Amino acid sequence: MSGIVIAGVSRIFGTVRAVDNITLTVAQGEFFTLLGPSGCGKTTLLRMIAGFSDLDGGEISIGGQRIDKLAAHRRDIGMVFQNYAVFPNLSVAGNVAYGLKARRVPPPEIAARVEEALSLVQLSGFGDRQPHQLSGGQLQRVAIARALVIRPQVLLFDEPLSNLDARLRVSMRGEIRALQKSLGITAIYVTHDQEEAMSVSDRIAMMNAGRLEQVGAPVEIYRKPATRFAAEFMGTTNLVEARMLGLAAPVSVSLRPEALRFAEEAPADWPRLSCVVESLEMLGPITRLDARLANGTTVRMATLDTPSLSVQAGQAVTLAYDPARLTVVA
Amino acid sequence: MSLAIPYRQRLPLGIAALAFAFLGLFLLLPLFQVFSASFLDSEGTALTFANYTKMLGRPFYRTAIVNTLEIGAAATIITTVLAVPLAFALARLPIPGKSAILAMASLPLILPSFVSAYALVLLLGRSGIVTQWLQAHGVAFTSIYGAGGIVTVYALTLYPYVLLPTVAAFKAVDVSMEEAAQNLGSSPARTVWTVTLPIVMPAILAGGLLVLIETLENFGVPFVLAEDMPIFAVEAFKLFIGETAPNPSSAGVLGVLLILTTAAVLLVQRRFLGARRFATNARQAPPQLKIGRGLQALATFYCWAVVILALVPFFSIVVLSFLEFRGPVLHPHFSLENFSVLFGRHVRPLLNTLIFATAASLFVTIIGVPVGYVVTRYRSGVASLLDVVATLPFAVAGTVLAIGFIVSFNSGPLILTGGPLILVLAYTVRKVPFAVRSASAIVHQIDASLEEASISLGRSPLQTFLRIVVPLMLGGILSGLVLSWVTVASELSATVVLYSGPWSTLTVVMFQALESGGAGIATAAASFLIVVSLLPIVFLYRLVRRYELS
Ligand SMILES: Nc1ncnc2c1ncn2[C@@H]1O[C@H](COP(=O)(O)OP(=O)(O)O)[C@@H](O)[C@H]1O
Ligand SMILES: [Mg+2]
Repeated sequence: MSGIVIAGVSRIFGTVRAVDNITLTVAQGEFFTLLGPSGCGKTTLLRMIAGFSDLDGGEISIGGQRIDKLAAHRRDIGMVFQNYAVFPNLSVAGNVAYGLKARRVPPPEIAARVEEALSLVQLSGFGDRQPHQLSGGQLQRVAIARALVIRPQVLLFDEPLSNLDARLRVSMRGEIRALQKSLGITAIYVTHDQEEAMSVSDRIAMMNAGRLEQVGAPVEIYRKPATRFAAEFMGTTNLVEARMLGLAAPVSVSLRPEALRFAEEAPADWPRLSCVVESLEMLGPITRLDARLANGTTVRMATLDTPSLSVQAGQAVTLAYDPARLTVVA
Repeated sequence: MSLAIPYRQRLPLGIAALAFAFLGLFLLLPLFQVFSASFLDSEGTALTFANYTKMLGRPFYRTAIVNTLEIGAAATIITTVLAVPLAFALARLPIPGKSAILAMASLPLILPSFVSAYALVLLLGRSGIVTQWLQAHGVAFTSIYGAGGIVTVYALTLYPYVLLPTVAAFKAVDVSMEEAAQNLGSSPARTVWTVTLPIVMPAILAGGLLVLIETLENFGVPFVLAEDMPIFAVEAFKLFIGETAPNPSSAGVLGVLLILTTAAVLLVQRRFLGARRFATNARQAPPQLKIGRGLQALATFYCWAVVILALVPFFSIVVLSFLEFRGPVLHPHFSLENFSVLFGRHVRPLLNTLIFATAASLFVTIIGVPVGYVVTRYRSGVASLLDVVATLPFAVAGTVLAIGFIVSFNSGPLILTGGPLILVLAYTVRKVPFAVRSASAIVHQIDASLEEASISLGRSPLQTFLRIVVPLMLGGILSGLVLSWVTVASELSATVVLYSGPWSTLTVVMFQALESGGAGIATAAASFLIVVSLLPIVFLYRLVRRYELS
């Protein structure tokens, strides 16, 4: 059992509450992502799990054992760093063997496990290469193999793909997810990229200014964001003030752009909005448009490209929205 | 896990504790002894201010203070005036043979400055070769002894302290700033004056203050050239050697005053220059300026002239060492006599020099590298304090530290006087700041996440330091080792106070030969020292090249 329990954990730097009383449970074998803007405390929380940052409060346990007082090198946690941190003075095989040598694994077994780990990340035959001969993507694979080969209870990733180009990011994230699932390792993954988070995670914890905003499956957070922050950070949204029947105070309501359609394509029972197109953005498969309502509010709408689509800025259009997709946010 | 110290802090605290123990015993204790000697009466029993009033009451010592400061200021100004145009030319003008010039320009840093002073005496002294030649041709030549000669030697041997950082600063200037100035209507010359120079000013001042500190502490150069002009470090030495009372109170007073002066300069340097680095974000070195042929010829001449002139004294010593001396009088015949005397009668000091330098440079490295690592990686009060203490020897003249060593280890539980270890320890303490600085500079370039990766893979912080950090620092550690070896081999100021019996060194042989007029042996010893300084540097250069260690 290697589920992780983070209970009331805090970390304060001077006046900054980098991590502010966070409580989380990560299940055994789960791919769990910490998502939030830069500076929200993701790295700090991850480093506390790895043992590189002290706790100012709270407890962390893995598989029922408290680990927050344990020395970092005894925690048995694999970590993949943003800048790869591949040792430049060791060959690829030397890097992967490093943790096994630290554990005094017998040499024949080391050789076999290194080869196995390299083939897992599709680097078979690269063992003798020096790090400076590898590309960024290959270095990242070495870093992953190096972390996997020690068969850690938990694998931590700190923005592992942010130094790669866009295409490679997409294929690597798929590989990472597949690898994690096939090995059944518990993983905590840090990113500021919501699309990446949605594509790889079983569950996501959204963080903002050191605090948790919402924890849940990607779909759940996307469709039912609990807060304005969660709604806006997870993709684009329309936030409008609304008055609920029976409530005095106004509430915020979130409506995703894709919940809007042109009136002629929408079911008849959807509410209609007449507005003027302000601007258009053709992105290939989808087209975004900003439209202004009579009261001055701008709403964003997104639609799949079709040959019949011909709207221009300044044109008056009628839009309709799916009332079932309105979400009240805090 | 009952220890209260968190695991992550055990390695740095352990290193800091060992370093404090070493520096406490071999730096702070001797300094404290010098300090307290200055406040005790000559019997060492009663507390008094009398030593200070007595010393400062004597015009002779007041003159020594004034002389030292005046010479230091003059040398600093001249060095700067000499080095800044040179730096500008090397960084921005089309000068043929630039890399050769730069390599030659760093040589004075590793060659002993008092050898340069001694060469000046042999050439231009009272019975110097050039002096005699001039007199034979009816040209009156006034002596080079005194302030003029000292300042000349300082300028020629210390200019790299200003040159090297200033070249780096000129190269780091963002061209777009100059382009902005010219775009606003400023001529190229005015741009250099109003934009470029202010940006590099902090580097110039930092180098200048280093020169000032070096002049304040220097013992060898004034010892050779000052004659009867009183100079701080020399007078402290003479007082200490002459003092018969059990408590060296007078030498203590000079020592304390000297430390306070250099410490003040060092403080000024750290306080005011640390914050005043103008951040420029140059992506590439600024382009060469276009200048006319005449100006280019002039600049080329200037660069080569300065660099060669600074090496002329060392070159002449080597040439002179192969000539025949009868006492102090030189005869222009080729002869190996000087060397046969040196290798015949002074093998012991020669071996001592090699052994002491090897031992001390190893100690320095073993202390300096971990301390440099801790002060760079760990931001805590303990680390800052360690940084300050490890930098302190830089502000302490060798003479003064040596006096402290004698007072501390002459009696009591730890007796070191009369043996070789006291020399090695004094050398080690003196060179620690350089080792710490250079180690710290390398650690800055190593990504901290490499260490975290190693720890997360199961290596303890200590194993990580030994298996990851040290191998990555290897090139820098080796060059630091060689540099301290070279500078220890030519150490004079602490050596003349501390050596005894069979434990003398090459520099002592030179020192004694100078005092007794044995110029031949002195030149042979100096040549040997020059070779011994250059060989490891050449070796290191080739090694670093071959393995691309740096
Ligand atoms: N060692 C530190 N000292 C002081 N402040 C820190 C330190 N590490 C992080 N912080 C601060 O804590 C906050 C969270 O940082 P971090 O965890 O790196 O954020 P993220 O990884 O989400 O971008 C930031 O405001 C950062 O400036
Ligand atoms: Mg981060």
